[in-house]
Amino acid sequence: MRVGSLTVKPPPFDYSAPDTLEEALFLLGEAGDEARPLAGGQSLVPLLSLRLARPSLLVDLAGITTLRTLGAADGHLALGAMVRERQAERDVRVRRLAPVLADALPLIGHPAIRSRGTIGGSLSHADPAAELPAVALVLEAELVAESRARGRRSIAAANFFTGFFTTELAPDELLTSLRVPSPAPGTGWAVDEVARRHGDFAIVGAAAMVRLDTSTGRIGEARVALAGVGDTPVRLRETERMLDGAEPADGAFADAAEDAAARLSPPADVHGSAAYRRHIAGVLVRRTLKLAAQRAREAA
Amino acid sequence: MQHIAERYTGASVRRSEDPRILTGSGRYVDDVRLPGMLHAAFVRSPVAHARITRIDVRAAAEAPGVTLVLTGEELERSLVPGPGIAAMFSGGAPVPAFTTLASDKVRVVGDPVVLVVAESRYLAEDACELVEVDYEELPAVMTSQAAQDPASPAIFEDLASNVLVRSPVAVFGDVDGAFARADRIVRADLRQHRHQNAPMECRGVVCSFDPESGELTVHSATQGVHIVRTTLSTALGLPPEKVRVLAGDIGGSFGLKLGAYREDVACAAASRRLGRPVRWMEDRLENLTFSGQAREESFEVEAAVTNEGEILGLRVKMTIDTGAYPGMGAMLPELVKTMIPGPYKIGALSFEWTAVVTNKAAYVAYRGPWASETWVRERMIDLIAMELGMEPLEVRLRNVATRETPPLRMVTGRSLAGVTARESLEAVAAKVDLPAFRRLQAGARGHGRYLGLGVATYIEPAPGPLEGRGGGGIMGPEQVRLRLEEDGTVTLFTSQMPHGQSHQTTFAQVAADEFGVPIEQVRVVVGDSDLVPMGFGTGGSRAAIMAGGASLHGARALKARVEEIASHLFEAGAEDVELSGGSVAVRGVPASAMSLAELARAARSPGRLPPSLAGDVEVTAAFDGGEGGWSGGSHAAVVEVDVETGQVRVERYVVAEDCGTLINPAIVEGQVRGGIAQGIGAVLLERSAYDEETGQYLSSTFMDYVLATACEIPRIEIEHLETVPLDADVNFRGVGEGGMIIAPPTLCNAIEDALSPFGVRVFEQHLPPARILELIGAIPAG
Ligand SMILES: Cc1cc2nc3c(=O)[nH]c(=O)nc-3n(C[C@H](O)[C@H](O)[C@H](O)COP(=O)(O)OP(=O)(O)OC[C@H]3O[C@@H](n4cnc5c(N)ncnc54)[C@H](O)[C@@H]3O)c2cc1C
Repeated sequence: MRVGSLTVKPPPFDYSAPDTLEEALFLLGEAGDEARPLAGGQSLVPLLSLRLARPSLLVDLAGITTLRTLGAADGHLALGAMVRERQAERDVRVRRLAPVLADALPLIGHPAIRSRGTIGGSLSHADPAAELPAVALVLEAELVAESRARGRRSIAAANFFTGFFTTELAPDELLTSLRVPSPAPGTGWAVDEVARRHGDFAIVGAAAMVRLDTSTGRIGEARVALAGVGDTPVRLRETERMLDGAEPADGAFADAAEDAAARLSPPADVHGSAAYRRHIAGVLVRRTLKLAAQRAREAA
Repeated sequence: MQHIAERYTGASVRRSEDPRILTGSGRYVDDVRLPGMLHAAFVRSPVAHARITRIDVRAAAEAPGVTLVLTGEELERSLVPGPGIAAMFSGGAPVPAFTTLASDKVRVVGDPVVLVVAESRYLAEDACELVEVDYEELPAVMTSQAAQDPASPAIFEDLASNVLVRSPVAVFGDVDGAFARADRIVRADLRQHRHQNAPMECRGVVCSFDPESGELTVHSATQGVHIVRTTLSTALGLPPEKVRVLAGDIGGSFGLKLGAYREDVACAAASRRLGRPVRWMEDRLENLTFSGQAREESFEVEAAVTNEGEILGLRVKMTIDTGAYPGMGAMLPELVKTMIPGPYKIGALSFEWTAVVTNKAAYVAYRGPWASETWVRERMIDLIAMELGMEPLEVRLRNVATRETPPLRMVTGRSLAGVTARESLEAVAAKVDLPAFRRLQAGARGHGRYLGLGVATYIEPAPGPLEGRGGGGIMGPEQVRLRLEEDGTVTLFTSQMPHGQSHQTTFAQVAADEFGVPIEQVRVVVGDSDLVPMGFGTGGSRAAIMAGGASLHGARALKARVEEIASHLFEAGAEDVELSGGSVAVRGVPASAMSLAELARAARSPGRLPPSLAGDVEVTAAFDGGEGGWSGGSHAAVVEVDVETGQVRVERYVVAEDCGTLINPAIVEGQVRGGIAQGIGAVLLERSAYDEETGQYLSSTFMDYVLATACEIPRIEIEHLETVPLDADVNFRGVGEGGMIIAPPTLCNAIEDALSPFGVRVFEQHLPPARILELIGAIPAG
């Protein structure tokens, strides 16, 4: 990482800790883009310390109990924005209704980080190498946002991540919850990533879901999304279409992997070149599709 | 009932440091809080190479809470010009002129330019942002090739070029003859990347000048209080007696914290100017960017070998990138030259070297600073084995020195007396069961799994045999002082400055055995320049042998002194007096017993003893290493490489080590494991990366400079070899550096072995996943 000024002490800021969503939205509405919501602080605090972010006001969301609910209803799993990653990881409903999310969560940092880091913080932060944005894409989740100016709105994950660390959220808007539709019966899933060390951000990560047609045994639907290969998480729709109706065999997954890799123009950094990331993306697409198909077969 | 061990030496006595450190009760520089203490921060260069054309500090000086803003030019007026610590490790290379804070030029990203002192670190950093510095950028010289281009802009104008030293060719043995006799010449260009110490605790200092007494007290995170005192008193023009340096617990160092750095000098000068304590704790960004880096060296090697695998001679050209400011870089090549034959009967060597300056962080000491001699040699041996189609272990055993009388010598001169390299090689080979591994490896390849085995061996002059041992002056004998206290306990004062080595346990073990008291009754005092004897401090693997030996001889001298005093008090002959079990008595007369406490009080009571014995019961002893001997060992690693992702897993790691007589096996094993962890980090994870165009530093956070964690370190199996004692009393040898010296070649050899079906040859030390895939041709080189 290249940093602007050599410091690890944040510049001055004001701090407020509202108890209700209304209050938080009011504060954000008044301050405009001078303010920043603070969730678990696992990304924002380092940015402040490196003086890469300089908000004049932090609005701490930790006291807003309504953002901490986790529940399942009408075929959806709903996770409040302030649900801690560690809490979601240990929740049986998450494991049952969104196993791809349950498998992705332990790949985020280490337990201490996940005990602070939140579902909403990770999605709003929109780090292209983070696990949850890619998982939101593959789950076709909905992100619920609220502001004083616009009221409540629901944004499809596919439209939420708009660029490098940027989202559809307006500066005065809060992400309030993540809504995950339950997968169709017989859907298999897989999450995998390559990172320098256990707990590091992925160099490339992949999440896949595969549903097999119960009568033919062929692929009914395949979804795959990647982290770490561009400015945003990437859903590989063209690659998925190649698999429609295909035999869930090694050859099809290898072709899909090759197709996926060829479409990407990933970034380079100290950990590896663009060519390296492209190669890893191909390997992970193949490995996750294969495992997801195998799990689908076992579920059937 | 307390059971007194037969001997503490050789037992895994629990560390006396642990209760303090593990319960968070350690005292580090960061814990020092003095009344009126101020906080320093530095404005640092954002560019690698530039002329400073303007500095405006007015706004910063006016900022809230700011008490002092110093530019390089202003600071220099309060200092005595001179090279400071730089001269001590220059190895005779020219030391260029530069100021404590950069004033005319900046030479590396992170170069300190302006010092800001304020009521808090936050306010100091806020004010730093208000300092305006104009830089006229110069091309950054980022590689040793670029530095050797006469057209590259001189980083130091008083050096004629960016080539610091070009050595003459040193020749040992009949090199031309060896190459003429050879069946084959194996050539390789080998390169080590930059890595760095990255201790858990960064550098730090609290300087407190008392205007009344004119005394400067310095709390420092350092490996040696006396070098800090010398460098600060010289730079500030203070008499050494007016400078007191204190060190508490140290959160690691690995060679980094030697002497006073430029920031320390600036803080001391600021404290003198303000008459208030000034504190600077280096943050991680400063630490990774600027504190220092190591290991960036490249080698052109030719080996003359026979078809049977005998290594007749080596021709070596070494280039070392010493970074921008003088550190230790120019001192190392001569050590590499002397050590490169290692424990082998290599009959001829020619060696020449070049040291260059570049716009990167200074080259500093890092655990086993000369380690490239082992990496290069052990890499070459595997390349030779590959060329000849031999088992690498066979090539090692064919060439490794046998123990003979008189002992064989390295072609560079030193005696190989007592070297157990052959035994350690055989031990690790037996432990991994080489033939069984080769069968397993062949079977696994059939299933697309790539296993590899690497073996390597090293010796370390810690201290090395007596003959040919250099090192006088501050690197000479080690002194300790021991005093019998009025409560009957013994205090041992040492200039060793533990920063993870457990000296407070090990020296107490040695002294307690020799003096004959329970270990709880020996207290080891470190870290106060007013109390501890003059000495270099901890470094160069001196502690076990030099200070351990001095502890032994000192305890022996203290015992003799006690018996002499007792003979006066008892009016008995010295030979009739006996010290045992914490009391002295006339032999055969138990009723005469006097406790050590009574004896100490008697000695201090006026008039009880003749003047030569009266007063404190105290002795000073020095030890020069005695007959000495080599430390060393062999390691073997089994790795598995995922050839789809390039990831390497260390499946098994086996060590056979010989560090002489073990003082404390658990502590030895801790040192070995820690060194291996850093070696695994070096090969698989850690790299100090620069953008070669802009000179920007790319590894300035722990997301980019990735250290090994517990998850990456396998279980390490350690076997201790029986040593060959050379000295009558003291056969402890250094063990702190070895793991880091030998783990990198062990792993590189294992990875190359795993990838041999791809025809891969490993010429570099850093093998992260992306590089592995490049080597096997899965992706183009990036
Ligand atoms: C050492 C370390 C390793 C890590 N490894 C990983 C990893 O491997 N993978 C990974 O994905 N993450 C990783 N993280 C990041 C972490 O786990 C969190 O996912 C992430 O920091 C965001 O969550 P947070 O609650 O901490 O958000 P914060 O840091 O508090 O906020 C992040 C950003 O989101 C905004 N924000 C937060 N909540 C909302 C909201 N409700 N509405 C609108 N905006 C909001 C903030 O203003 C800020 O801009 C790591 C962090 C650390 C420190």
